[in-house]
Amino acid sequence: MTTIATNISLYDSLPELFAEQIGGASYPEARKAAFERFQQLGFPTVKTEDWKYTNVIPYLKNGIGIQLPAAPSLSAAQLEATGLLLPDVYRLVLVNGELQPQLSELPPASKVTIRKMSEAAEEAAFQQYFAKSKKLDEHHFAQLNTALFTDGLFIEAKAKTQVEQPIHIIHLYHSTGNLLVQPRHLWVAQPGAEMQIIESVAGLEQSGTVLVNSVVEAVVTERAQLSHYQLQTSGQHSRFINQTLVQQHGKSLYNNYTFTLTEADLVRNNLNVSLDDERTETHLYGFYLAMGNQLVDNHTSVDHRMPNCESNELYRGVMLDKGTGVFNGKIFVHEDAQKTNAFQQNNNMVLSPDANIYTKPQLEIFADDVKCSHGTTIGQVSEDALFYLKARGIGDVTARSMLVKAFAFDITAQVKIPAVRKRVEQLASQYLTAAANN
Amino acid sequence: MSAEQDILQELAGREYEFGFETQIEMDIAPPGLNEETIRFISMKKNEPEWLLEWRLKGYQLFKKLSMPTWQNFELPEVDFQGVSYYAAPKNKVKYESLDEVDPELLRTFEKLGIPLEEQKMLSGVAVDAVFDSISVATTFKKQLNELGIIFCSFGEAVQDHPELVKKYLGTVVPQSDNIYAALNCAVFSDGSFVYIPKGVRCPMELSTYFRINAKNTGQFERTLIIADEGSYVSYLEGCTAPMRDENQLHAAVVELIALDNAEIKYSTVQNWYPGDKDGKGGIYNFVTKRGICKGHHSKISWTQVETGSAITWKYPGVILQGDNSIGEFYSVAVTSKKQVADTGTKMVHIGKNTKSRIISKGISAVHGQNTYRGLVKIGPNASNARNFTQCDSLLIGDRCGAHTFPYIESKNNTAMVEHEATTSKIGEDQVFYLNQRGIDSEQAVNMIVNGYAKEVLNQLPMEFAVEAQKLLSITLEGSVG
Repeated sequence: MTTIATNISLYDSLPELFAEQIGGASYPEARKAAFERFQQLGFPTVKTEDWKYTNVIPYLKNGIGIQLPAAPSLSAAQLEATGLLLPDVYRLVLVNGELQPQLSELPPASKVTIRKMSEAAEEAAFQQYFAKSKKLDEHHFAQLNTALFTDGLFIEAKAKTQVEQPIHIIHLYHSTGNLLVQPRHLWVAQPGAEMQIIESVAGLEQSGTVLVNSVVEAVVTERAQLSHYQLQTSGQHSRFINQTLVQQHGKSLYNNYTFTLTEADLVRNNLNVSLDDERTETHLYGFYLAMGNQLVDNHTSVDHRMPNCESNELYRGVMLDKGTGVFNGKIFVHEDAQKTNAFQQNNNMVLSPDANIYTKPQLEIFADDVKCSHGTTIGQVSEDALFYLKARGIGDVTARSMLVKAFAFDITAQVKIPAVRKRVEQLASQYLTAAANN
Repeated sequence: MSAEQDILQELAGREYEFGFETQIEMDIAPPGLNEETIRFISMKKNEPEWLLEWRLKGYQLFKKLSMPTWQNFELPEVDFQGVSYYAAPKNKVKYESLDEVDPELLRTFEKLGIPLEEQKMLSGVAVDAVFDSISVATTFKKQLNELGIIFCSFGEAVQDHPELVKKYLGTVVPQSDNIYAALNCAVFSDGSFVYIPKGVRCPMELSTYFRINAKNTGQFERTLIIADEGSYVSYLEGCTAPMRDENQLHAAVVELIALDNAEIKYSTVQNWYPGDKDGKGGIYNFVTKRGICKGHHSKISWTQVETGSAITWKYPGVILQGDNSIGEFYSVAVTSKKQVADTGTKMVHIGKNTKSRIISKGISAVHGQNTYRGLVKIGPNASNARNFTQCDSLLIGDRCGAHTFPYIESKNNTAMVEHEATTSKIGEDQVFYLNQRGIDSEQAVNMIVNGYAKEVLNQLPMEFAVEAQKLLSITLEGSVG
């Protein structure tokens, strides 16, 4: 049952805003349909099953605007100062979802097509896949995004190409008051293509709070491979609601790595992977840290629709201070999806008396010849392991921090790009050491 | 496989063994639910004023509450006005000995394999037989009386021990808990009442056999078990029902209260009519069961073997309020044909050093849908709480389903919670291995299933374990293929 929360100002102002925007906007048909659907759904409340532990309503108050301010001109030095740059990558810099070509280093056009979403209508892949993701219409915020998205990136790796260097997308958000930003992306790996995408995020001359409601639709076609890194590392005065909807065709591979090590007070990641054909492989890895008053919510779902697919998911979280962690992992095996192997694990460490964790690993299985398992744990630093280290002359604080890091680094060890791994490990170390010393 | 398939087909078509109907005159309230009905029930049962008011309050809540929508199955329309809320065997008399009991009734129990007289003597089970809501035979009363144990029908308890009933009724399952619990409050017909005094270890397994009988009657039992300080009791509940075409509603409420150092073990074997192979007929089993470990070092253990009912929908839970208390839940749920089971448990840790253990084994066959839905909640003051959960599903056939919805909420940083779940089918290699040793496929599957469920079946008292194993094979044999 969905109870529609309508008594909030943003919701009330939306129809008017939508009417204003729709005139000059791209893809009006899709937008209108999505807005109608959104009006049916409303914003989710805690009575909406998928938002049971994450109350977004308080975050939607305080007069949020949707009119994007003009992007400030950004120098290369300023970009450097964000500390987000990575070596040996193609770079795409976005301010409030809009591509900044002067700061970007594009991959060769022979291999990858890159367009602004607002200018991608002519692309065949765009027409084929835009707003077509399964379950898109179940996501309240994704519908709002479809209705009102501003811009984003259309990326298409051409068939049988290997994009050697990772594509690094730097999302910068600029605001002059409380702002709702809705970027929208569509990434397609054509048959046999191999592509790696890294996403980083930071604030840029912000005043007020930015609520980012982003949607990524990714299509991994036959025999294609896509590795997707989401580095949610900075972002004070930001809130993130991310929808990542992935469709996998036969024999494709999709890897997702989500690291939430941020100062944003709300992060909600919806990651849906739909396995639409046989013999696919999917790996989802996540590490999240909930500190301060943060709420970090990871909702993942893997939809096994066809036989002989394999999915593997490992999420770990550390809860500090008054942080709240939420994990919901769903594996859905449809009737036809025989010979499915699906594995899911979620481990949590709660290191503060005021921290909370809510976890729900969920299996829904309609086929019999499957191997599915899930496990979840909530615990602390093992006393035995601590004793072992202390017996070898390692102090309490160091020993604890070693154990927590070991717990976290099991995930980072899965990262295939050394620079990304180094960045994540450094950041995790920094936060965990600071917490251990408190 | 084809010869095998034939056998299996034949077995799948096997009729419900316990499907027969007893012809006994009934005193039935006209169908319909209103204040009149409630007053009628209360009057029939000669109840005190406070209980009538309590019932009416339940009815008011029932009218206010709405049907839940979160379940993982399609909830059939239940016509509350089409149900008769009171059915009692006529010529109600207190029986001094079994000879006075209607022989027709005794034959019914015999067909079920429960010959009252012999079995109770041999097995040491005191049987309080509930036949369509009204107790007709209570045995071993004398021996229990000597120990101060009260074991009687709910109606008698209201007459003879109103202070105990008044003190504990509705304290574990509040009237407003859910719509079916509220309905039960309003119209409950009878049930069992157990009180174990301080320091007494109940010397025998207490047992009640429920049996739904008359047409168009829902059963609304109410069971209340109180284990006073330092006492122990093991209670068995078992059910079979005759064959029916119309769906029957069963909405019982069971409340367990364990005080300091007390232990309650509650075992259920449920084998109500599951409907035919097209899913026609069958019982709707919507039960609210909950226990509270009120005292320190108390323990409540639920064991259930669910093989019957068209829809089983229940979550026996434990509120771990007392420090160092323990809650346990062991479950085997089998769904075959078009059966649905949405079952699991709630473990609410409130006290310090509380422990809970959940073992759930689901078996789905043919079109059966089996859902484990559980909640483990660790409160902010439940230091050193510990939970272990294992829920496994076994799938037999490619049109059945197994689902897991475990909710885990922790607000304490000293809590240790573990949950693991697996889903798989019976290995062809395992069956092949047994075939090679001269065991036919059907028996092989039986052996594998029994081995799979052993961890739970072992928790049952011996008498029940035998019946439970029999039920597992009856329910499943028809579906292996």
